[in-house]
Amino acid sequence: MKIATRAAVLVTASALALAACGAAPEDEPEETTAGGEEETVDEIDFKGCIVSDQGGFDDRSFNQAGYEGLQLAQESLGIETAQAESTAETDFVPNIDSMVNQACDLTVTVGFLLAGATGEAAEANPDATFAIIDDQSIDLPNVKPIVFNTAEAAFLAGYLAAGYSTTGTVATFGGMAIPPVTIFMDGFVDGVAHYNEVKGAEVTVLGWNKDEQSGEFTGNFEDIAAGQNVANAFIDAGADVIMPVAGPVGGGAASAAQEAGDVAFIGVDSDWFDTSPEYADIILTSVLKQMGPAVFDVINESVQGNFSNEAYVGTLENEGVALAPFHDLDSSVSAELKSELEEIQAQIIAGEIVVESQSTP
Amino acid sequence: MSTVTAPTQGAASQGAVGGSTPGSRKAPITYAVLGLFALVVFGLLGQPGSSTFSVSTRTDLFQITPIGVPSRLTAIVLALVCLGLAAFAALRAKEGRRTPGWVAGTFAAAFVLAFLTWAVAGESIPFTGLLQGTLFLAVPLVFGALSGVMCERVGVINIAIEGQLLAGAFLAAVAASLSGNVYAGLIAAPIAGVLVALLLAVFTITYAVNQIIVGVVLNVLVVGVTGFLYSTVLTVNASSWNQPPGLQRIAIPLLSEIPVLGPVLFRQNLIVYLMYAAVIVANIALFRSKWGLRVRAVGEHPRAADTVGIKVNATRFKNVLLGGAIAGLGGAFFTIGAGLAFGKEMTAGKGYIALAAMIFGRWSPKGALGAALLFGFAEQLRISLGIVGTGIPSQFMLMTPYLVTIFAVAGLVGRVRPPAANGTHYAKS
Repeated sequence: MKIATRAAVLVTASALALAACGAAPEDEPEETTAGGEEETVDEIDFKGCIVSDQGGFDDRSFNQAGYEGLQLAQESLGIETAQAESTAETDFVPNIDSMVNQACDLTVTVGFLLAGATGEAAEANPDATFAIIDDQSIDLPNVKPIVFNTAEAAFLAGYLAAGYSTTGTVATFGGMAIPPVTIFMDGFVDGVAHYNEVKGAEVTVLGWNKDEQSGEFTGNFEDIAAGQNVANAFIDAGADVIMPVAGPVGGGAASAAQEAGDVAFIGVDSDWFDTSPEYADIILTSVLKQMGPAVFDVINESVQGNFSNEAYVGTLENEGVALAPFHDLDSSVSAELKSELEEIQAQIIAGEIVVESQSTP
Repeated sequence: MSTVTAPTQGAASQGAVGGSTPGSRKAPITYAVLGLFALVVFGLLGQPGSSTFSVSTRTDLFQITPIGVPSRLTAIVLALVCLGLAAFAALRAKEGRRTPGWVAGTFAAAFVLAFLTWAVAGESIPFTGLLQGTLFLAVPLVFGALSGVMCERVGVINIAIEGQLLAGAFLAAVAASLSGNVYAGLIAAPIAGVLVALLLAVFTITYAVNQIIVGVVLNVLVVGVTGFLYSTVLTVNASSWNQPPGLQRIAIPLLSEIPVLGPVLFRQNLIVYLMYAAVIVANIALFRSKWGLRVRAVGEHPRAADTVGIKVNATRFKNVLLGGAIAGLGGAFFTIGAGLAFGKEMTAGKGYIALAAMIFGRWSPKGALGAALLFGFAEQLRISLGIVGTGIPSQFMLMTPYLVTIFAVAGLVGRVRPPAANGTHYAKS
């Protein structure tokens, strides 16, 4: 017995140790130099770094998109890179500090939630430059905000959803009530309202009240089952198009929609048709937020010595935001609706339709 | 909803603190105050119009037309039922007799229905969906709380429920995806929970490390290990590693045809049925068997148990592993139970809420079930009423889960007492 328990402890202790070793790279910033891979471009003396929020770089959403931008820069510009993944809010400050200590020329911090930590680091290190996605509250010469007027693309999605719906009820919900999330919901609601105005229809939106700025939230970006549950409640209430703005939690809603059978799903951030092929048959479209190209552009500018703290704002006009193709459901969207969407897109770009949101950058 | 708050009648003899003590005036007074509140606010001050409860879901074979009731009148009637129950409870208290358990349950149901009729005046609410969501949210909590009961009844605090749930969710998804067989996941999930529990047992029982510290460390460990494997393995080849088949819904003949409650309770997947079985078996085993008596003796007074020949630490060890298996099985609900792929930290703190449900349920399996259902109902109520978009300010709606909890704790639960030897290490001296 004694020997057996000792052996058990030894095994578990070594398992712990192994696990600790194994998990380490996730928390510790990992340095990957461009030299390791076969490069067609010359290496240059520029180090681009990235810090994620809790979602991690494999969230199939905005962290991943930002990271892909950095990887693109590594491949095509030949810069050095480093990345740090955060698993909790308490990781933000140490992760950014470690990037600064590694002499990063440009550190991209992904997400509104990192605004506080980024601002402090930028103030403490005026020589380093930063770019922050989804926030423009920091007004410092060495911080470049990368923001997206996703309300414009979500407006199109709302119009599409209203036109596509047969029950006359569509729905949206968010992960947390923060501006980069609610801006999607604002645009979506306005898009539906525009449809109602033009067509004299009465399509209702569940889950978000733009005037009161209140609605349905799961409270985090992790609880996938909560997303499924909320989506089921929407489906019970008659919704047949659902747009969750909740990162991975949206997957739960997609699952609920798939199970219901006749409910369509609108993804956000990236094209869910590519990132979640298991739900391909119900994905109507996605509201694209082109973070990868934006991160790449900002790095490219910085490499060329043109860093500025002027905000990069992604719009329909500069293709920073867009509506994804309809893929499998293409045949279910009427030609009339498609042409109307194109027309509205042109009107938004021309400024004839102004999509307003409290969260507009 | 009678199961939600039904206090355990006669549970005092079973070790849990019983319903109301004979002659206590607290419960009747609480009922009377709440009944008056319902009468005035929900009834007399309510909006005119009708409240509609739709009771069949879109997938039902036969559709029942939604039930529309005049809001104000219904609320007044229900409030009067509440007041009647308060009078009955007062009468029993005056006679010095115990208030039967069904009084609290019926009171809670009538009060909640009065609230609902008031809240959805002029609107329609999917009533079946409300109950379905309640059960959906409650299932992992029930398993987690049962795991906690198993451990704490022998005196080991199980903070690692969260980790056991997450490990179960992870291994269920991986095993089901790799084998292509959902039942492989169902078997793998308890194993994952047992592995986490084994660490807990070895460190706390054999090596006397502080139970809370080990539990917290294990939670962090599981988050780290599953997160790491998720990033390095599951996302790289998602189609073979992380696309588990989901458990099919099984409709139980006859029972599933009962209006309203049938589809909610008896058109579920295997994990939910296992949950019913687990609660019943655990409740009987803990309070009506020799095994249960020994388990509780170890948790209340280990030295006394030892002197009568019960192997204290062996009993603890076995129960902690059993608790781990239960929580692991509950974890499977997140992935194969809900038909979802595994996601990082997808249990999102449910393990901690399960701990609260265990305490709220006074360390008894059926109490845990009631508490978990109440938490689930409060949360689902917030979601459903948020969707209906009633005239009530959304800020007030957000308060409902907390109001319900406070009401239940203050009015229906009373004093709770953990097993006496909870959290202590036992060594022969």
